[in-house]
Amino acid sequence: MKHLHYIYRFVGTALFWFVFGLTGLLIGFVVIPLLYLFVRRPGKRQVATRRLLSAAFSVFVWTACASRLISCKVAGMEHWDPDRSQLLLANHPTLIDVVILLSLFPQIDCVIKEAVTRNPVLRVPAASANYISNRAPDDLLESCVTRLRSGASLLLFPEGTRSVEGQPLKFKLGAAEIAIRARAQILPIVIDCRPQLLAKHVPWYKIPPSPPHFAITILPPVDASQYLSDQDGPRRARYTLNGALESMITSAMS
Amino acid sequence: MDTDSLYQQIKTILVEQFEMNESAITPDANLYEELELDSIDAVDLLVQLKELTGKKISPDVFKDVRTIRDVMGALAES
Repeated sequence: MKHLHYIYRFVGTALFWFVFGLTGLLIGFVVIPLLYLFVRRPGKRQVATRRLLSAAFSVFVWTACASRLISCKVAGMEHWDPDRSQLLLANHPTLIDVVILLSLFPQIDCVIKEAVTRNPVLRVPAASANYISNRAPDDLLESCVTRLRSGASLLLFPEGTRSVEGQPLKFKLGAAEIAIRARAQILPIVIDCRPQLLAKHVPWYKIPPSPPHFAITILPPVDASQYLSDQDGPRRARYTLNGALESMITSAMS
Repeated sequence: MDTDSLYQQIKTILVEQFEMNESAITPDANLYEELELDSIDAVDLLVQLKELTGKKISPDVFKDVRTIRDVMGALAES
């Protein structure tokens, strides 16, 4: 019986990624080009693209949960305020964190790897959704701050890459710096996935021994400006805030 | 701009913007290890150098920069 369950999950996972890829192709090569044809204004196209991607991601998460390939629990959604600018900072244990988070927060901005902007399938949706590319580090900080100041919400993974299991979380200074410069309201998000799924350098077919459970916890908002005191300049503030965020998310995980 | 005044200007930026100890700054002091320049400072420094000299050091070149002497070398080449 246990063996049968494993086979079910293996085939299910393979089928899932196959359909995921196929949908990606369909969206990238058919739906988005149509959107370019019919929605001329970039602003409206951005909203429509994000709504579409978020809906697609919601369907995927729902399907994966319904077929028991994963399970998912979200807590603290009441801290999310869609009417104001918030900086969402999450740890990054798996490849599908962004899929789950974008399904929960449809219109947020996020930063994508430069490689995505050159990927033939992902290039067009990413441009249409107007996500931020991490091409130049100096522009990146400024673009993120500008978007937040203009009232958008932004999702960042402060580690800059996927977490390494069993090692303490180490955030890069960039996210804290963006928060300080934009005087942002931060929404710390804890993603806890057990057993570990799709970690870095783990191929999709190495499925975990039991269905992974995602516990996503949105912590109460934190105002970056409270870390800016008169004695310590903004330079000190980025370290204090960064350390505070690291320990907030770490302690919520254990 | 001659080398000496460029060096003084960089030194001024490091002291005023990045709160470095003036006496610790020498042309060959390691910016990261001895002077505690962090990744954000490095980005800010690039922006300020561009304003100062009009030259843009590419992030790829800046990755190998360790000292103020290296910074001036990179500026001379770009």
